[in-house]
Amino acid sequence: MKELSIKQIISISLETGKVMLQNGAETYRVEDTIEKMISSKHDREVDVFVISTGIIISTEINDEPYTIVERIPSSSIDLETISRANSFSRLFTHEDMSMEDATLILDGIKNPPKFPPLVRYAFSGMAGGFFVLLFQGNFQEFLMAYVASVFTVMLFDKLTKLSLNFFIKNIFGGFTAATLGLLLVLIFGFFGIDSDYNKIIVGPLMTLVPGVSLTNGIRDLISGELIAGNAKIMEALFIAIGLAFGVGMALQIAINIL
Amino acid sequence: MNILTQGFYSLLCVVGFSVIFNLPKRLIPLASINGMIGWIIYIILQQLGTSFIIPALIGSIFVGLVGEVSAILKKQPATLFIIPGIIPFVPGYGIYYTMFYIINNDFIQAAISGAESIFIAISIACGVVIATSIVRFFRPHIERILIKP
Repeated sequence: MKELSIKQIISISLETGKVMLQNGAETYRVEDTIEKMISSKHDREVDVFVISTGIIISTEINDEPYTIVERIPSSSIDLETISRANSFSRLFTHEDMSMEDATLILDGIKNPPKFPPLVRYAFSGMAGGFFVLLFQGNFQEFLMAYVASVFTVMLFDKLTKLSLNFFIKNIFGGFTAATLGLLLVLIFGFFGIDSDYNKIIVGPLMTLVPGVSLTNGIRDLISGELIAGNAKIMEALFIAIGLAFGVGMALQIAINIL
Repeated sequence: MNILTQGFYSLLCVVGFSVIFNLPKRLIPLASINGMIGWIIYIILQQLGTSFIIPALIGSIFVGLVGEVSAILKKQPATLFIIPGIIPFVPGYGIYYTMFYIINNDFIQAAISGAESIFIAISIACGVVIATSIVRFFRPHIERILIKP
């Protein structure tokens, strides 16, 4: 088996780190993984600097400084990918691997098995619906939140495929969540069932709220990664502002019409 | 009785979010039980009438502890168990009502619920960090108990 060159090792590690970062891993874990992967095969000092929009790796090859910068486009959350990337990095540090094997595994990591769309939508309805029940909703509110969440996640997935700007995407997401909630309340109101539209909007909204970025960002800040933490928190803040914008527009329209 | 039904709802809620986040199938049971434990503790503390920060803080400490221990047990990163587990605490209502009050020109109420949401988010993160540090400290002992040679 051919030995991997140092540049190949660095590019494999960079790719692994990129995949982890894009799918919601914490900054310190990405830094740690890349550093471990490179130093397991390379005996020079390795410096890794990660923020949520980029990765910088710097080391020495044949006494020459070598630095590589990778720009990271916006991300979503996929825990299956993190789990696989983590096992791959363990395997990589403990065993020798050819470039072909490594690229093959990495391609597998980038296209993880996903739940079939129908299952995904059914369960996202559960997520939004039961969240409403957690905050003292009643049964018809659960049903409405369920339906609204299913369609919100469906639309949001479609928007993600269009690779829209994340701010615009979240404005649309918030707008759909609120519009669906209000429409359902109106329809049910027709049949004489009164319900609290605030609760029904929060259910689908929860499937979009940047809770993970926010807590990951604050975790990074607490552990001393000041710039990476700030970047994550700003991202979360702007997602929240986008959602609020969308919901606000829908509510404003509803108030003006009704 | 109320606590039991709330636990059941939170279990299913976390299962839903696990699927949204594409958590590997074999890990969903552990992650959702983790979320349920956290939420039950949250509810109990809330009924004792503590401030709005304490339930989220203690709840996420427990989610973090259970998550880290399951991570050692399953040899997976702890994030996989912690991310779905903390979702019920995330101040979705707070964020929504902040926006709602701004639209209604009620800026004082908006500031109140906005500040509450921020503090809840900080306390969730603090809880997880505290749990991670505790587990890191006792890691050799936990490994010795869980993974028998």
